[in-house]
Amino acid sequence: MLKKTLLLAACFGLVSGAALAQSTWTGGDELPTNPLACDGTPGAVVSKDYDGGVPTNAPDRAGKKITVVDIPKLIGVGYFAATTKGIQEAATELGNVDAKTDGPTKANIDEQITFIDNYITSGVDGILFAANDPVAIAPVLKKALAAGINVVGYDANATPDARQWFVNQAEFNGIAKSLIDSMAKEAGEDASFAIVTSTFTTPNQARWIAEMAAYAAKCHPNMKWLETVEAQEDNVLSFNQASTLINKYGDQLKGIFGMTSVATPAAAEAVTQANQCGKIAIVGLATPNAMKPYVEKDCVKSVVLWNPVDLGYAAMQVLRATADGTLKPGATSVKAGKLGELKVVNGSEILLGSPFVFDKSNIGQFDF
Amino acid sequence: MSDVPLSTTVKSFLRHETILAILLVLVLFVLAQQSDRFFTVPNLLNQGRLMTEVGLIALPMTFVIITGGIDLSVGSILGLCAILLGVFWHNLGIPLPIAMVLAIVVGAACGLVNGLIITRFKVPPLIATLATLALYRGFAEGISQARSVRGYPDWFFVLGQGEVLGVPTQLWIFIALAIVAGLVLTYTTFGRATYAVGANETAARFSGIDVDRTKLLIYTAAGLVSGLAAVIFVSRVSTTRSDMGTGVELDVITAVVLGGTSIFGGRGTIIGTVVGLVLVQALKNGLALSGVKGDGTIVVIGLVLILAILASNLFSRNGDG
Amino acid sequence: MSFEAASPRRAASTGAFSRIASAYGQELIILAAIVLLFAVVGTIAPRFTSQTNLTSIFVGNAYIAVAAIGMSMVIISGHIDVSVGSLIGVLATISGTLAVAGYPVWIAWLVPIVVGMAITSIIGVLVAYVRIPSIVVTLGMLSILKGGLISATGGAWITNLPPDYLIAQFRLLGVPSPVWFMAILTIAAAIWMRSTAFGRSIYAVGGNPEAARVAGIRVEATTVSIFAIHGMFAGIAAVLFATQLQVIQSTVPPNLELTIITASVVGGVSILGGTGTVIGSTLAAILFAAIGSSLIFLNVSAYWLRSVQGLLILATVLADMARRHRIS
Repeated sequence: MLKKTLLLAACFGLVSGAALAQSTWTGGDELPTNPLACDGTPGAVVSKDYDGGVPTNAPDRAGKKITVVDIPKLIGVGYFAATTKGIQEAATELGNVDAKTDGPTKANIDEQITFIDNYITSGVDGILFAANDPVAIAPVLKKALAAGINVVGYDANATPDARQWFVNQAEFNGIAKSLIDSMAKEAGEDASFAIVTSTFTTPNQARWIAEMAAYAAKCHPNMKWLETVEAQEDNVLSFNQASTLINKYGDQLKGIFGMTSVATPAAAEAVTQANQCGKIAIVGLATPNAMKPYVEKDCVKSVVLWNPVDLGYAAMQVLRATADGTLKPGATSVKAGKLGELKVVNGSEILLGSPFVFDKSNIGQFDF
Repeated sequence: MSDVPLSTTVKSFLRHETILAILLVLVLFVLAQQSDRFFTVPNLLNQGRLMTEVGLIALPMTFVIITGGIDLSVGSILGLCAILLGVFWHNLGIPLPIAMVLAIVVGAACGLVNGLIITRFKVPPLIATLATLALYRGFAEGISQARSVRGYPDWFFVLGQGEVLGVPTQLWIFIALAIVAGLVLTYTTFGRATYAVGANETAARFSGIDVDRTKLLIYTAAGLVSGLAAVIFVSRVSTTRSDMGTGVELDVITAVVLGGTSIFGGRGTIIGTVVGLVLVQALKNGLALSGVKGDGTIVVIGLVLILAILASNLFSRNGDG
Repeated sequence: MSFEAASPRRAASTGAFSRIASAYGQELIILAAIVLLFAVVGTIAPRFTSQTNLTSIFVGNAYIAVAAIGMSMVIISGHIDVSVGSLIGVLATISGTLAVAGYPVWIAWLVPIVVGMAITSIIGVLVAYVRIPSIVVTLGMLSILKGGLISATGGAWITNLPPDYLIAQFRLLGVPSPVWFMAILTIAAAIWMRSTAFGRSIYAVGGNPEAARVAGIRVEATTVSIFAIHGMFAGIAAVLFATQLQVIQSTVPPNLELTIITASVVGGVSILGGTGTVIGSTLAAILFAAIGSSLIFLNVSAYWLRSVQGLLILATVLADMARRHRIS
């Protein structure tokens, strides 16, 4: 009886699983991809009307002191500690913003929604968020807009009409191109590689993997994807998974992509401890401090990342400009303090810039 | 089965509930002083909406813990049912109302499997549900291939985002089920059997109670209600994800235990669970409104959990199970 | 759970083999499962049994086995600790902070162990003397430790660890130190639990506290000591965990407490108290690590990985139940 039930459940699961569409690479999402040109010519810019939301009956906040709450995916991790630092920097510089960061202790859609809901009730002027899920967060953000609160996202977007602006650290296809190009350069055009990601349900990582698959198929068709493994946001698990990949494929494995700032240093450590430096290339998203030992030892050639401190800084500046009314729907750029003018793209997104590539020559200059 | 131990435990439990109720009033009073936005009707109703999923699962969990068992797989069942709701409707083209019923039926089936492993194979509930925690979450991940299903019709959102007579829809469901659960536990043979199984399983067997059937029904109910919570959750957040409900089991168990249900079995009430639930939610919300951050709030909840049980133990030194 | 009362440990009169088989039934099943797994997967994918992969399996998961030793003692004594994952996160952060602050490395290794013992002693006192069920105390402690850690660090990573601090990367006779820790601590704990009066009292307290009290065991003091010893193992595990890489995350490792508890109970420690050995829990920790590794080698779709793990846990548990049925 029990065995039958389990068997039935398993068969059922397999069947319904197969019924879903398959992506090229495990871990990518199913959304349409838009790979950049191989030689780096920027894609045709399609101008798009403002598609963000508008707060209802927002009071005039121009020049007045505002309270802002920042609700990242989760608190207590290095990446969002860095964005918080940037938000505080901008708040201090602006002088008329009272900003604090609060959020769930695990990347959980339910808890994040509860936090935002509580802050709507407590009556803040502005909300900054990094969404755990673009759709799940939308109802509560719309509620915030309806309460006259200014809402700006960063790092991970929500559906556009649920927020006013989104500060985009780098476009998905841009990141994908940087990563794949770096891997092709370091490991060779016919390299076989594997991917270590956080979880398959993390939207940004899933998007990057899908864009990477599309870009590799277009521009580096001989590169061979072997597999994608999950490692949560856990550095010891990332290390174990990367070590297993190295042991499994032996000489066949020429490169490992780290899709998170946790996975990349852990993969580099796995390659170092396996004495495979120089034989297995590590390319990925990471923060400079964690990567310094590997870059200085030449085990890792280059690290791709935007500066998360700048990202938080820009998000705060954009929120202030929105509250002041200086950033209106239809604007083409926004002044963001020390970062200068930032471009508005894709209707209601503000682009932080191109992804930055750290290497041995410049990694020492960064401290985050 | 003699009635003597039952009535004394009920008495000692009313004592715990009294302590808890006093604590709740105190907490509500202090929080209302801290923020004038806390004790308002819209905020309290909204909090009711937010706590419904945990609250629903806490009801059958109270039965489970009273029998001396535990069910760690409820969060995973929630995730699996949420995914299946999306798959049934979106991928297999089943009409949404039928898909909702099917998802709940799958939840019940998951609970039944738990119950069978526990009763037929005599696996301790903690281990059995630890295994199915991984298994059901695994099915959710495997079936969904990490894809979300979105774009539900508007009528579906009434369940999770709508209101009936000014009160969130799901809160009505929770209140109705809480009353049913309370009545079943207090006034029916099944309720008495639940206490008897938890107080002394061997004695319950000898006094003619069908222990296995009782447990089987309770674990099935836990699965069924987790499925229902999944449907409401999907309706509230308008999407399905395979990681939904991760860690819910700890929130549920915290509420039930705070409500005075003994982890050793044999004692506990639905009223206690509801008070425990409201206390946790009031703390989470009220502390946030008075400017305490999330990390501080979970420290406070941890302390309250320990101190509440401590206080109740000090008042009834015999009640240590 | 009537057959639980029938001890699987009773001496069989039919010779040494069956005596071992009945005393170490679960351990033998898991050992057989490990051997079978290595044989089958090694045949399909020869690299699985290569020395480097075996080292990876042992090294990467030794801290789980070490923590499971203490957890097994707690569970054998009839209690549980669901806060152990948070505790390891806190202790690893304390250790790394001290190392970076320039204290001698032995201080950075020792302080987390002492702090771990202090915290679990508090848990022990609340459980033994104040009589709050251990799951309640540790559920509360989980929140307190996790919230406290985030408040204190904000999740800032600890980098620039001094090389001589990284004890988990040391080798002795060519074997990485985590393997030594795992093996020596397991064997020492197993012998200690069998051959000393205190070790045996752990089983007595878990099996029947009232009988233990009648037999002259100070149940409360013993319980506090068991929790303190558990804290020591958690501290050692935290140091191994912290020194494995060159970065410490200052967070609570996700689901670590579930992994550790699963290793203990699948290793044959009865959740009802009174039976089980730490050898079983260490073998179970190795088995899980090997399963995780083998699924990658066997190209099981990563999407289905967790359900396969769940099925395997279930299979192990059911096999154990079937065996106990036969014995009783």
